[in-house]
Amino acid sequence: MKKKVLAALLAGAMTVTLGACGGNTGSGNDTSKADDNTQGTTDTADVSKDAIRFMNTKIEIDGALKEFAKQYQEETGQEVVIESLGGGVDVNGQLKNYYAAGNMPDIFAFAADSYKSSFKDWLEPLDGESWIDDTDYAFKGEDGKVYGMPFALEGIGLAYNKDILDKAGVDPSALTNINAYKEAFEKIDSMKDELGITSVCAVAAESGQMYWSTGNHMMAAYISQGKDRTDKDIIDKLNKGEIDKDRMGQFGDWLQLLFDYSDQNVLISGTYDDQLALWATGKAAFITQGNWIDPSLPTYEAEFACGLAPAAFMEEDTDGIIVDAPAVWGIYNESDKIDACKEFLKALAESEEGQRALVEDCGMVSPYKSCTLEPSTPLAKSMLPYIKDGKTYAWDWLTQPEGIAQNATGAVFELYAKGQLDKQGFVDTMESVIKDYVASNGSN
Amino acid sequence: MNVQLKKTISIAAMAAGIIGMAAALYMDFSGSASTIRGPLLIAGALLVIAGVYLLPTRKHRSIINVLFLFPLIFAFAVTVLIPFACGIFYSMTDWNGIKFEKFVGLGNYISMFKSNDYIYSFVVTFIFTVINMLAVNLVAFGLALLCTSKVKGRNFYRAAYFIPNLIGGIVLGYVWQFIFNKVMTTVIEGSTSMLTDPNLAIAAILIVSTWQYAGYIMMIYVTGLQSVPKDILEASNVDGANQITTLLKIKVPMIANTFTVCIFLTLVNSFKQFDLNLAITNGAPSRILAGKPVQATEFLALNIYNTAISKNQYALGQTKAVVFFIILAIVSLTQVSISKKKEVEM
Repeated sequence: MKKKVLAALLAGAMTVTLGACGGNTGSGNDTSKADDNTQGTTDTADVSKDAIRFMNTKIEIDGALKEFAKQYQEETGQEVVIESLGGGVDVNGQLKNYYAAGNMPDIFAFAADSYKSSFKDWLEPLDGESWIDDTDYAFKGEDGKVYGMPFALEGIGLAYNKDILDKAGVDPSALTNINAYKEAFEKIDSMKDELGITSVCAVAAESGQMYWSTGNHMMAAYISQGKDRTDKDIIDKLNKGEIDKDRMGQFGDWLQLLFDYSDQNVLISGTYDDQLALWATGKAAFITQGNWIDPSLPTYEAEFACGLAPAAFMEEDTDGIIVDAPAVWGIYNESDKIDACKEFLKALAESEEGQRALVEDCGMVSPYKSCTLEPSTPLAKSMLPYIKDGKTYAWDWLTQPEGIAQNATGAVFELYAKGQLDKQGFVDTMESVIKDYVASNGSN
Repeated sequence: MNVQLKKTISIAAMAAGIIGMAAALYMDFSGSASTIRGPLLIAGALLVIAGVYLLPTRKHRSIINVLFLFPLIFAFAVTVLIPFACGIFYSMTDWNGIKFEKFVGLGNYISMFKSNDYIYSFVVTFIFTVINMLAVNLVAFGLALLCTSKVKGRNFYRAAYFIPNLIGGIVLGYVWQFIFNKVMTTVIEGSTSMLTDPNLAIAAILIVSTWQYAGYIMMIYVTGLQSVPKDILEASNVDGANQITTLLKIKVPMIANTFTVCIFLTLVNSFKQFDLNLAITNGAPSRILAGKPVQATEFLALNIYNTAISKNQYALGQTKAVVFFIILAIVSLTQVSISKKKEVEM
């Protein structure tokens, strides 16, 4: 009998421990909310239920956003908890996890690509918000309604080192077609020793780690350069698996020009760091990146003047750069505090504190016309005249079939850079890989 | 206590427990905010267990056994069996990571074997596995012989060869990428990086993989070699066997089971190669195969990862993972059963 009692006790103890494991999941929501609460402010637990959960995916602006949220609470009493993700986290995967766990944040960031593949059923329409009239970059869904609030603009072009160009006597504002570039490259190339550079351009086209630069950002020129913001001709074609052969041919000439004047080692085996180091240390005059390299420049003690020039790959003049909001903020449509969220987004967009938080504290380019504040970083600053004059093209590359750069087109860029494809081969291979990729993956 | 009463109590407890659990689960699924559902579920589970325990039956012993095994089986089911079953199920749907809309049967399996990139990954992984398994085992066995011989400072060597295995694969991959891209191109003036040629890039991963893993396998061989009885070695020495005869006729047969373990480990490990692959090349460079570009060093694990994450095709990725599991299971079981036959009984 004694044995039996012992056995029963042991079995009981085991089930209790099991139960304890199960018990945690039941109360998991409460504890996680409490954690969020401590992140933001230290208020009572009752308030935290009314707090807006704001999922930020740009870790760089975490501090400034939290500061603004604190101020906002002091003024309006509405608590906003900022949760930041980033630094290589699979953000979309994380959001999917939150959704599966019934723990979606009230406001989250998304982009045109993740809208298409994942989030289109979860977003609250924002039509009628006053900030929509103040910007050209509000995110519209397939049904024409506004779903996302832009908060920053990024620009793609050819970043140049103005000091080197000045010394070589090249005027960056004249670089609006391929012939102008050809001339400029030849001139700079002939003065290499004088200028202290090792190559004219810093381009990296290796397909394993640089596909995002070639297949997305350089491809963006083919897709959008010279096109009106509403003209979706090329990207629609691409999503159907077709290309504009003539345009792709011109794009091929442009790539060949860039590749010819690049540092060959960086071109075929360089990483982002190698490419950036080449340009930021003044060893190259041009780099095929956008204004997101601004924050990295102090690392290399780069103090030269610089700016963004158009990726003008055609013989006709195209004098604008490719500018858009890479991500936007949207409101979860099953949130129970949609109106409070709208108020908060409005304050971020329109109030002076909100604009200062985004532009000055976060160092971003504001998408709002009423914003008069200027970012302090050089490449971001050089975008402003383009935006003011309306010389911008849309980031249509975002709606390419998902993963096409990494799994299809990136490889073609690499083969072309290594000379394993000629121009005709480049166009033909592009055509066939895009066709194949869309046929096997375009369905979703 | 009469048996009838005991039986009634136990059945009542079980019934109450099941009702309690059902109610708790219903509350959970219907989205009730009531906090009682957790305790209710646990109380229900406890009642069911108590009821089963009290049930007067001749099978009491086996019930106790199952009760004691239950925590382990439960944990194993939650972490391994159920996800595995879900995985097989999802591979037959159009799941996108959030939800699935329709059941596609074997459609994913068919489209998988039709895609060039998958077939290429399959072949290249197979080649890599064979060469890497041979290379790691040969190097490791050689090092093990060195470290068990009378060479000076053999403990130092043992530690030194083992250290690469302690560094994380990703870190190691980036370090070697730097060596291939920068150091080698500087040492051999004017040469291009190994990682830009499709075949040499695979060789580069082989070198790093062998360098990293040989030390670990060496340790297992060292243990095996040390367990060879001294008296047998002395006897053979007296009989006039030279070094090579001793090695081939005595040491190798005596440690055949060590070979089984090591070959199994390297086989599975090479087949599952992911971190070095991701860090050193991430699939690059590309090569043209039958007029289409493919990523020359995209091994199966990386291919699965890219399918699910970068192409956002979770169902197809899951399909590839299921096939990956089946191949791995078949290959390793065959290998173990063949090697087992060659082992000598001590």
